[in-house]
Order: sequence, then C-alpha cells, then structure tokens
Amino acid sequence: MATIVAAPPYSSTATESANTGLMSWLTTVDHKRIGVLYLITALVFFVIGGLEAFLIRAQLAVPNGTVLSADMYNQLFTMHGTTMVFLAIMPLSAAFFNFLIPLQIGARDVAFPRLNAFSYWIYLLGGIFITVPIFFAVAPDGGWFGYAPLSTKQFSPQINMDFWVLGLQILGISSLAAAFNFITTIINMRAPGMHLMRMPIFTWMSFVVQFLVALAFPVITIALVFLQFDRFFGTNFYAIGAGADPLLWQHLFWVFGHPEVYILILPAFGLVSEVLPTFSKKPLFGYPVMVYSGILIGFLGFGVWAHHMFAVGMGPIADAVFSLTTMLIAIPTGVKIFNWMATMWDGDLRFNTSMKFGVALVGMFTIGGISGVMHSSPPADLQQTDTYFIVAHFHYVLFGGSMFGLFAGLYYYFPKISGRFMSESLGNWHFWLTFLGMNLTFFPMHFSGLLGMPRRTYQYDAGQGLELFNLLSTIGTLVLMLGTLFGLINLWKSWKSGERASSNPWGAPTIEWAIPSPPPEHNFDTLPQITSRYPLWDLKGAVVTHPTTVADEAGRVQKTAKQLGIPMPNPSILPLVTAVGVIVMFSGMLFTGSNMKLAVAIMIGGAVWWIAGLYNWLLTPLEDAH
Amino acid sequence: MTATTMPAAHDESHGHGHHYTTLGLDNRKIAIWTFIGSECMLFASLISTYLVYKGRSVKGPFPHEAWTDPSGKVFPAILDIPVTSASTFVLLMSSFAMVLALAAVQNKELPKTTFGERILGSSKLWLWVTCLMGTAFLGFQAYEFTAFIREGLTIRTNLFGSSFFTLTGFHGAHVAVGVCWLFSLLAIDYKRGLGPSDALNVDIAALYWHFVDVVWIVIFTLVYLIK
Amino acid sequence: MAFMFRRRAWMSTTLLVALAVLAGACSTDYPNSTFNHTTDFNAANDAVWDRLLFWGTIVFVGVEAALLYVILRFRRGSAARETKPVHGDTKLEILWTAIPAVILVFIAIPTVRTIFMTQAKAAPDALQVEVVGHQWWWEFRYPELGITTANELYLPKGRTVNFALTTVDVLHSFWIPQLGGKRDLITNKTNYLWFTPNADIATDALNGFCAEYCGSSHANMKFRVYTVEPAEFERWAAHQARPAVFPVAPAVPAVPSGAGVTLQTASTAPAASDSSAPAAPVAPQLEPYWFPKEQLPSHVIPTTKLPVGLTFDESALAAGDPERGRELYSRSSCIGCHAIAGNPMSMSKVGPNLTHVATRHTIASGLYQNDAKHLALWIKNAPAMKPGSLMPTLGVGEKDPVRKTVMSAAMGGLTDAQIADIVAYLQALK
Repeated sequence: MATIVAAPPYSSTATESANTGLMSWLTTVDHKRIGVLYLITALVFFVIGGLEAFLIRAQLAVPNGTVLSADMYNQLFTMHGTTMVFLAIMPLSAAFFNFLIPLQIGARDVAFPRLNAFSYWIYLLGGIFITVPIFFAVAPDGGWFGYAPLSTKQFSPQINMDFWVLGLQILGISSLAAAFNFITTIINMRAPGMHLMRMPIFTWMSFVVQFLVALAFPVITIALVFLQFDRFFGTNFYAIGAGADPLLWQHLFWVFGHPEVYILILPAFGLVSEVLPTFSKKPLFGYPVMVYSGILIGFLGFGVWAHHMFAVGMGPIADAVFSLTTMLIAIPTGVKIFNWMATMWDGDLRFNTSMKFGVALVGMFTIGGISGVMHSSPPADLQQTDTYFIVAHFHYVLFGGSMFGLFAGLYYYFPKISGRFMSESLGNWHFWLTFLGMNLTFFPMHFSGLLGMPRRTYQYDAGQGLELFNLLSTIGTLVLMLGTLFGLINLWKSWKSGERASSNPWGAPTIEWAIPSPPPEHNFDTLPQITSRYPLWDLKGAVVTHPTTVADEAGRVQKTAKQLGIPMPNPSILPLVTAVGVIVMFSGMLFTGSNMKLAVAIMIGGAVWWIAGLYNWLLTPLEDAH
Repeated sequence: MTATTMPAAHDESHGHGHHYTTLGLDNRKIAIWTFIGSECMLFASLISTYLVYKGRSVKGPFPHEAWTDPSGKVFPAILDIPVTSASTFVLLMSSFAMVLALAAVQNKELPKTTFGERILGSSKLWLWVTCLMGTAFLGFQAYEFTAFIREGLTIRTNLFGSSFFTLTGFHGAHVAVGVCWLFSLLAIDYKRGLGPSDALNVDIAALYWHFVDVVWIVIFTLVYLIK
Repeated sequence: MAFMFRRRAWMSTTLLVALAVLAGACSTDYPNSTFNHTTDFNAANDAVWDRLLFWGTIVFVGVEAALLYVILRFRRGSAARETKPVHGDTKLEILWTAIPAVILVFIAIPTVRTIFMTQAKAAPDALQVEVVGHQWWWEFRYPELGITTANELYLPKGRTVNFALTTVDVLHSFWIPQLGGKRDLITNKTNYLWFTPNADIATDALNGFCAEYCGSSHANMKFRVYTVEPAEFERWAAHQARPAVFPVAPAVPAVPSGAGVTLQTASTAPAASDSSAPAAPVAPQLEPYWFPKEQLPSHVIPTTKLPVGLTFDESALAAGDPERGRELYSRSSCIGCHAIAGNPMSMSKVGPNLTHVATRHTIASGLYQNDAKHLALWIKNAPAMKPGSLMPTLGVGEKDPVRKTVMSAAMGGLTDAQIADIVAYLQALK
C-alpha cells in the first residue's frame, strides 16, 4: 500500500513511523487516510467494472457475438451497473467527502471518526461480497434495477440474486452511516466564521448529497427487505400468484433510484466548481445560485422518480405530472452550466489536466442533459426507453459528468492528498484518450438506440443497420481502457515519485490549501477564523492569488498534534471487527436455502460478534483522557 | 505565507477536554436527529406498502372483515382493537416514564427531601418503568402474532399478512432495540449511577424512544383504526 | 492550443455527421428506425421528438459554441492575465434561468397534448388483439376472430388496432419501433396500446422486440409484424380461425409425404409442399393468405448462429412422414405444452399454439427461420438453441443444459428419424 507520508516538503519534525504499517491502515480513524482507502478501493472497483464493460462490448462488437453466453452477459451487465454505481462512483465521491469536508470547513476530523472507519470497512467487505460471485459465474443477473418479479425466487431460483439483495443492503449501511456522519460534521464542525454561505461549494454539494442518501437509502432498504423476505421466507410482496403489484418494486426502487442519480452527480459538480474558479483565477460566478440550484436539484430529485416508468401504463395524468417535474430539473441544471461558463468568462484559464476534465464535464454533461430532457417527454421516451439511447444518455451524465468531475478533482487534489503533483504529460494522454474514447463509445449509442436496438440484449441480428454503431462503441471502449491505463500509471508513478507540491501549488482560494501538503494528522494547528468565502485570495481590485512553491516552504516545520497538545482520536480496530461481524451475519442468509441450521448458526454468530464489537466500541473512549 | 495570512480563531479546543462545535450542541444530538429523519423514510416506505396492498389480498384472513374460504370455513376479522388499544396505551405511558427518567438524570444532583421528590428523582425507577412497559408492549405483540398465526394468518398467507407482519415486526424490532438500549443505561446506572454528565446519552435514547412511540401511533391509526 | 481547436472542430463535424445520419435514418438501411410516420401514434410521437431535436440542437450548438469561445478566448497565453473579482450578476442569472424555462414551455405543451391524445381510449370498433408475454415468446390472440397464434402478428392497414397487454410471468415490453412506442406488460395488470397503421403504407414485414429485461433469453424474445391490405388480412384471419389443414382421422393410414390427401375443410394444400404461397381455393371460402416468403425483406430473416456441436442427420429429414409424425407428436411430451386445433390430443396452452405453425416464417420467437433443418434442431435441443428455453431437450443423446442430464429413449427422447417425422407433420400445418 502506498503511503501518503513520503517526506513532504512542509515536513513534520517527527515522522510518525508507527503510522505506516498495515496495522495503522486497519485501525486508522483519520478521515484523510480513510479517504485514501476509499480512493484506492473505488479505483480497483472502477477497473473491475470497466473490464466488465469491455466484455460486454466485446460480445456486441459484431452481430450474433459468441464471446459470452447469454447468462454470463446478463451477469456482466448487472454487475457492471451495480459496480459502477455502488462500488465505484459513490465511493470515489466518498473519498473526496472524507478527505475534503473536514479540511474545507476547518475541522480536525469528522464528527464520528470511528463510524467513518466502520463505513469504509462495510463498503470494502460488502463490495467484495457482491463482486466475488462473478468469478464463479454465479453473479447477480437481474439487472442493477432488480425488477420484480424477475428477481423473486420463482423466476430467479439460483443463489445469484441473493448476493445482490444482501450485498446492496450491506452497502446501504455504509452509505447511511456515512451520511449521518457527514451531515453532523457539516452542521456542527464548521470553524468559527464558516457560515453556511461561506462554505466551499464542494462541501455544499456534499451536504445536499448526504441528505439525499439519508432520505433515499431507507426506501431501497425496505424494497430489498421485501425482496429478501420473499426469497427467504416466502412472503408475498412481489409474489404474482398472491396478487402482488410488481410496480410496488419499481416505485420504491426509483424513489431511491432517482435521488441516487443526483447522489452520483452532485459531488462531481462540487469538485468542478472548485476547479474552474482556481484555474480561471475568478470567484465562482453566482455562488448563491449555485448553492440554491444544488438544493433545488436535490429537492426536485424526489419528485421525478416515475419518469423511469413512462411505459408501465400509469395513465396520462401521472405521465404528464412526472414529465413536467422532470423538465423543471433542467432549469437549475442549466443555470449551473451557464454559471460555470460565466466563471470562466474573462478569466485567466490554465489548461492543465484537472481543468481539461472540468471543462469537458461542462461540455459532456450538457449532451447528457439535452438527451435527458428528450426523454422527460413521454411521447419521445416511449420510443427511447430501454434502448441504447438511454444507455448513451446516462453514460454522458455518469461518465462525461460524474467521472470527469471526479478525475478533475483527483488531479486537483492529488497534491494535497499526497504532497506530489500528478504528471501532466501522462495526464494529457489520460484526458485525451478518455475524452475521445468516451465519445466514441457512447455517441454512437444514441443512434443504435433510436434505430431500434433494445438494451440488455446479448446478441442482435445482422442486417439491422446496427453493425457500424456497435463496432464504433466497442472500439471506443478500447480507447477508454487505454486512457484509463494512462491514468492509473500516472497515479502510481506520481504517488511514488511525482514532483513535490507545496501547500498551495495552484493558488487556490479555500482553507484546505492553507495547510501543508499532505496535511498533518490534526489538519489545523489552530482552528481558522473564517471571514470570507475565499480566505486565501485577495479580491480587492484585481484577483490576487497566493500560490506557494516548495522553495517558499523549505524551511518551515510542522509540529505534530502531540507537540501542540491537540487530543486526537486513538486508532481502533473495533470498526473493522464490527464490520466483519455484520458481513458474517448477512453471509449466513446465503445458506437459508441449503442448510437452515447452518444459516441460523452463522447469523447468530455474526450478530453476537458485531454486537459485542459495538458494545466494546461504545464503551472505549475515542481519545485518551486529558 | 498564505497560512499566515489566514487568521486563527480563538481556539479553545485543545487541552480543555471539550471540542469546539459550531452550534454548541453535541454531535450525537445532531446525529440522532438525522438518524430519525432517515428512519421516517424507512417507516414511510413500510406504511405506504401496507396501504397500497390494503384490499388487494386474493384470500383471507382480512384485517377488518370476515372471510369465508372455499371450504366454507369462516375467518373473522382478525385485528383485535381493544387489546391493541391497551398495548398502545402502555407504549404511550412508557414515553411519559422516559421523560421522567431523563429529568431524573438531569436533576440528579438537586437535593431531594420529600418522598415525592425522591420518587420523581429516581432515574432507576423510571428507567425500569420504561423498560418494563416496552417489554410489555413486546409481550402484547408476541401475543397478537401468535393469536394471528393460530387463526390462520402468517407472514406467507397473503399480501395483508406479509405487509402487516413486516410493518409491525419492524416496529417491534425497533422497540426491542430501544429496550436493550434502556437496559444498558440501567446497567450503567446500577454500576456507577447516571448523572448530569450522562444526560446527553439518556436524552438521545429518549429521543429514539419517543420516535418509536410516535411511529406506533401512526401505525395504530392507519392499520388498526381506519377501516 | 491548435489541438484544442481541432477537438472542437471535430466535435462539430461529428454533430453534422450525426444530423446527416439522422436524416438518412428513415431509409430502409435502418429497418427498425423510430422516425417513421406510418401510424397516427408514431407520427404524433415523432412530432414531439422533432421539436425536442430542434431545441436540443439549438441548445447544444449554443452551449458548446459558447464553451468553445470561452476556451479559445480566455485561455492563458504566454503570460498570466489580470482578472476581475466578479461574483455574479443577478440580471444575467435571471436571464439564463428564464431561457431554459421558456424552451421547456415549448416542449411541455406538445408533450402534454400528445400524452392525452395517445393515451385516450381506443375507438370502439378497433381490432382487438390480446398480447400475452411469456418467457420468452409472444402469444397473440384476436378474440373477436377466434385466432390464437404466436410470435407473428398481422395488422390490416387503415384500421385501428387496440392491444390489450398482459403477461403470465415476469415483465416484458411490447415494441414495434417502426410503428410506435412501447408499452410494458405488467404482471397482474392489463395495459393498453392502440394505433392506426396508415392505409397507404407498404405491405411490409417489420421487427418487434421485447424491450424490458425478462431473463436469460430477453434478447431472443422477438416477433414479426406484417402490415397487410384489409382484404389480405381477412383471408389470413379466416384461414387462421380454421383448424389445421391435415387429415385428423386417426384411422386414415399413413400416406407418403407430398401426396394429395383428403381434407376435412374445403381448401387444399399439399401436405409437404415447400411453397409458402397459398394453395388454390376450391370452395366459396376465402383463399388462405399469409405473407409470401419470397417477399420477406432481409431484415426479418434471422441470422442467429447455430449452437456449436448440435447437428442433425439431414438425410433423415427427407424421409420424414407427416402422418407418422402426427401420431408420434400426439403421444409424446409435445402435447404437454402445445395446442393444435384439429388435433384433439394437443390442447395445452403452456407453449405457443402450433395450429398453423407452417404459415409462420420464424420459430423460437423470431430466432430462427422456420424450415425443416431449424425445426429439427429446435425439437432436438431447444435449450441449446435458445438459452433458458422452457421447452425441454428432446433428442436422444442430447445433453439438457439445464437439467445436466443426457436424454435417452427411456426418458421419452426422440431419435433423429422420429424428429424428422414430427417436423414433417409440423410443416404440413399450413
């Protein structure tokens, strides 16, 4: 495992050597290290999800492809969606929540450091739980949306969907615990003077996202509990013979699923709203409107779920209402696009890799937004839904939007995280190949969809006019993979031997850039007093930024928390122990079909384990008495 | 250079044993409210499902009306409103006891002279009352569930059975967690006594307990009272 | 930075190419295009789409051009530029809140109007068609005409058709891209979809798809739609409503294939004739009609590959005897799922109705051509031909991919010769 304390220029007097071993990572409660753990884990899952996508595209490169069997294809597209949504993009956002929120609000850690570690371990173990079956060809195969009744025991009698039902519940625990933690952190841990309307925009967007998580995840938890009970205990929630309404699942799923879309995109919007002002050397244009539009997107996000269901026959009134609410979302989203461009207007634009990804988000998300408005209209959507047009749309949103924003954030914050720059030359390859590959993969899908190619089909006939588009998409995937490879090589090399970065190499305006790179364990020697939105910029007259160089800081010495007398939370293995107990308990469920006694024994064992872990945790003080 | 241009707050956070918070409230208090907000969506989903499936079961027994099965056997309406009213009353009263328990912990250090003050000021007593009432509610629920199963309604019987047992079962599980939580506080009270410094911990448990109580009132109204 | 410029130029070129492709998309090169005006339904939907495309293109060009301008105009040159601390501009922000809002009004009005228009109740004299989804095939019933068929749908031009959509298992979605949008088949619910094919469109064969993921063979749940003249439809319907054209009296001795046979009904057809053209009429009854095989456009002829390792003794096919096949069919497991009107042993409604199976151009829900070879392979090992197929493996010596057992004669397995007989029988069912 790479280490982040590679002799930073703004160096600590005492290199905390104890903080580099494996045990230090298993027991860490430091939000920055947990952020790094999230980052690495999520990138691993991103690569797995990408390889799944590659296999899908290999199968579809030509008509009647024979690379994969139907069942393997169905497992792969299910796992590609599940992996990218729950194991890659959300945790990549979580990496930034963890690393950045306390730094941006001027706090020493999150509100509940051990709960934070617990969230990570649950995510890691839950991710493994749901991913491992693909290597044994028993992965979930009901789609990432798991529509009932196909996902019920009657139509999916194998163990495949059990992994999905349980895995998603496990991951839900992680997201919910993190949401409570960050809401509390942002409400209650802001430094003096850090009024809500002075908070950095990334923290604002994260704040909105945490509310979306806290309010949307319980809904899918219940939908999954019903499915789990149906599968394991023979209840009737989705049992067609008992008169169940399969639309119950769809409503519950999309009441969660649509806010989930904003959970995926808003953090990227936040990151880009940090990147664009810095590299334009201008304050964010219309900060209050950016905040309000983010809140409005989150709020409206709960009122549009049924636009995923225009074909199910809800009737004209419901179709019209959900169509109109969906169109409304285009307004705050459009405002964001315009405000970003106004931020760049008359600026001093520096096109490094971070800025390239950030600007590309503006351009690519616009395409996804336009196609989104297209199927907000049910008459058009009836032709588009469940075709590749939709696949094109949400990849422009989630790749051109979320991933580009996250890459922009990665290149921007990497110096803060590691104390080193990412390579610009490798970054250039990474960006251009990703940009080209993304468009080559997903733009043709607009056409294959509108020209009649349904989604989730493992083969298609020759002579349907789809050959060229599919081949282009597959070639695009290869380009994307190459681009990603450059990105990963860049990350690896930069982590080990990148050029040293100072505390504020970009001349950025927010307080996370006032502390050393990487920051000391306690973040701030003294809590900062915040007096403006851009504390590190001089905004009288022309914009004056204050970039620092390594040479500037050569002689500076950073004291440790101990030297400063700042109490820091003790490392603890208990979050990991508790998380393992939770996973064991859920794993027991898998055996209910084959061996009930064993299943009950494992579940009880797991429950006792995590409850014991939890009691131990609650009765151990966070910090040493002082 | 920039670091020095950023003014430092008058920082009281280190060396004094308590951490600075923006609102001056303890983090746990905010977290429990967030948690309760999230729980609202959990119960909203369960309750909506119950309501959506109301009247959709293809066979009985039914909550509010009798049902005759194909063999001619009659199943009366299954909900026993008087018994559930009693259990509802018990749960409501437990919230009252919880309020007194919290007050007793907060005012532990006030002098208690009269018998009444000693009664009101006994955190152990009121925690016991709350716990026992919560346990009694669970007893009512266990009685109700077994009676229903005997009368032919299980979680697998029909849509009503599935949604009813899952909704009330989830609530029951929340009550059970609350009872365990309160017994844990009681154990601490016996071990070292709960005082004003523990008031926040008791307050959080109380908030959870009241929430669970309020949810029951909604369930009781929508499931039992409204036909 | 020239590179940057080229990127943008490339993007605008892409857009132009895209629009050109879009314009050409109505041509026959794209046989499942969604841009047609062949029914009232797809014309209305496409009108909304055109409006969306118009505004979408304007927004796309406007935003990307502005972005391009900003990038080129304000990028840092050789030296840093001075910037002004502009925090916002209320007037501007109101303006660009209003612009999308106004555009949305232009989109919302036709949207809502079209929703209510296309989801009104169908005309009472509409042709009723019941669509029943099954994993993984389509059952089509014309209740007023007494017809039950599978995977091939005949629609008369100029007449409103009202589909009542249900499913016996999981969710499916009924979609004929050339004729209009889709509607899901929801368990325990009946959905409706209606439209009127224009009277002046060509007599054509179109593709239909299942558009809701429904399990293993979701990709293979296709169907064919034939838009025909009203008179042709009448002939088709009259023929389909009659029992199969085959000697049903069990006492009749087996006759060599290809010989003329006595028929119960007035219309005649040589039992094993390879011609799909309808036979000459004899009586006042309408001449039977089905879409002529010679006129099938290439895009409805399946190209699905055969599974590796599955073979059939083709020489056995020539020796297939329809009467022996009928006798064999009627006492084998076939009758457990299939119905053939006119064969009293075959009444089950689980699988596709085979009464006039020989008038269909595809088998296995549009997956293979309906010819002797594919039929034989299909009967021999359906699950190998179509993943997840609920039709079991029947050929002796064949491995059932689901049950993992090898079929034997004792288990009711069929030899190639026996399968050839059944194929001959099915091919006689015109």
